[in-house]
Amino acid sequence: MKTTIVVCVMGVFGFGEVNKIIDVVLFPKDSKEIANILDKIETGSIIGELNALIKNLQNKGYGVFIFENSRLAKRVSEKLSINVDVVIPSESGEILRGNLDKYALDVGFVKHSDEIYDWVHNVSMELAKIKVRNAAKKRDLLIIQAIQTIDELDKTLNLFVSRVREWHGLSFPELYRLVEKHEMRISLINNLGRRENFVFENLKREGVSLKKAEQIAKIAQASMGVKLDDDDIDQIQKLCKSMLVLYTVRHSLERYVNTMMEDIAPNICVLAGPLLGGRLIALAGGLTNLAKMPASTVQVLGAEKALFRALRSGARPPKHGIIFQHSLLHDSKRGQRGKVARALAGKLTIAARVDGFSGRYIGDKLKEDLKRRIDEIKEDKKLRLLKEKNHVRKS
Amino acid sequence: MSVKVEVHQQFPGIYCVSFEKKKLATKNLVPERDVYGERLVKYLDVEYRIWDSYRSKFAAAILNGLKKVPIQPNHKVLYLGAASGTTASHISDILGERGHMYCVEFAHRTIRELINNVCLVRSNMSPVLADARLPEQYLSLVEKVDDIYCDIAQPQQAKVLADNADIFLKAKGWVMLAIKARSIDVTKKPLDVYKQEIDTLKIRGFKIEDVVFLEPYDKAHAMVIGTWK
Repeated sequence: MKTTIVVCVMGVFGFGEVNKIIDVVLFPKDSKEIANILDKIETGSIIGELNALIKNLQNKGYGVFIFENSRLAKRVSEKLSINVDVVIPSESGEILRGNLDKYALDVGFVKHSDEIYDWVHNVSMELAKIKVRNAAKKRDLLIIQAIQTIDELDKTLNLFVSRVREWHGLSFPELYRLVEKHEMRISLINNLGRRENFVFENLKREGVSLKKAEQIAKIAQASMGVKLDDDDIDQIQKLCKSMLVLYTVRHSLERYVNTMMEDIAPNICVLAGPLLGGRLIALAGGLTNLAKMPASTVQVLGAEKALFRALRSGARPPKHGIIFQHSLLHDSKRGQRGKVARALAGKLTIAARVDGFSGRYIGDKLKEDLKRRIDEIKEDKKLRLLKEKNHVRKS
Repeated sequence: MSVKVEVHQQFPGIYCVSFEKKKLATKNLVPERDVYGERLVKYLDVEYRIWDSYRSKFAAAILNGLKKVPIQPNHKVLYLGAASGTTASHISDILGERGHMYCVEFAHRTIRELINNVCLVRSNMSPVLADARLPEQYLSLVEKVDDIYCDIAQPQQAKVLADNADIFLKAKGWVMLAIKARSIDVTKKPLDVYKQEIDTLKIRGFKIEDVVFLEPYDKAHAMVIGTWK
């Protein structure tokens, strides 16, 4: 005989051939617990209530079990070796879902038919919370936040650097050209302050190379800047101090992203480096999302504006999105970038899929393949140029 | 300032507020609490929430002359693509205490707001974190409903709506489909996109009762109302 198993908020129901309830096992009356159980059922685990119901129905002579959840049906047939069938939606399920409040009264889950909606509300709240929590557990979401913080810090620091250049430049405008590294310059201003302090001894103590220190000290004496009061320089130094803190935050974030990326996406990391890899994951909205994307999408990730403009107007589509930051791409010649971008995106997509779904390490092989392809592209160009030259010569 | 609130002539549960301009409103199910920064208006000891037609396609459709609003007090509704609950909260107002709505949303970031700001205080709204393309995944949580409101800005939205209707819509149920042409195909003309989606609904057994364009509130959007044949 056939029986239909239907799961709902109240419990698991077994219906007979004329869609009458034969047996029902109710869930414990606690919305948190019910939510937990429903979450488990969805992923295909066989919970105690279901097991009990199936045993009861077997004792009553039922041999074929119809389910509305294919994953669950498969698990049940494997684990309990019974005959199953999947019908979505089943007739009995339709009837139950059409008269939820009536059935809730009939099986004694509630005393008043309105109460069932409070249960539905509470259980759905708990279930949604469980799922949100599970989604937040994914480590790639942390990488996304970290990488975006790095980008925002860079923006902020650049803004402040140009401010300090103008502000401190009133007193020592030559410094900007002399010390090109922003962080070093900011730390010099923070520690030495006014121009008068930029003397050889002090600069040496700050770790400037001897030759450079001599040069700076010399120019500082002959500078065209104005003399600032202690009060004026104080404010600039305060800003520099906070900037140095931001620099340390940025460095530690970079280290953090490095280790995290090596952990969760080693293949992408080897191909694109941790920062670019992280940015790709951020743009896709997660590692699995990136893994599901075709290579052509990965190629233009970050150039959506240009891409959709091209689609709408029929103009030429962009050749590369954020992967342009890859050194292979921006170091290659203009005419070859399209080809290089395609090759790189293809390998990155493979890397993302392996990282997202299997976790093996094939990074070295991918890198090798990519290098060969890039050489091929470059070789191709050379050959063509050579041919053209010969052609011209002959004619 | 003189505020006047009147019952909407055609549609139960919906009100018209006139102060500077005529605006739609719904009776606030949870007094003194707004959902998305909308204005609350008190008239004769009842609190109403102004329904912003620039933020809610449903309101825009009503203002543009929708012939029928299937969603009515005490109905059961399935809402696909509830996002953070702007439109959904107004539907919850219309349904009232004895109605119930199931809000399906796929993004866990937005459903977090939906849970904390809206569903927590509105007992007639149940959040469902699931992919609307796979209705069998929330089979055990959702019951048969009177209406389905679908606002999932993505390709094949008509198919997704029909798949859900096959499982959850009652025999004489209604569907509302908000079509965002730009999310389906940017290269096609909006009118062709509407036609394509409407044809999908017709093939799946729906009778189209009304189509309203949402200009000037939303560009390249349309609202389609249908019912089982």
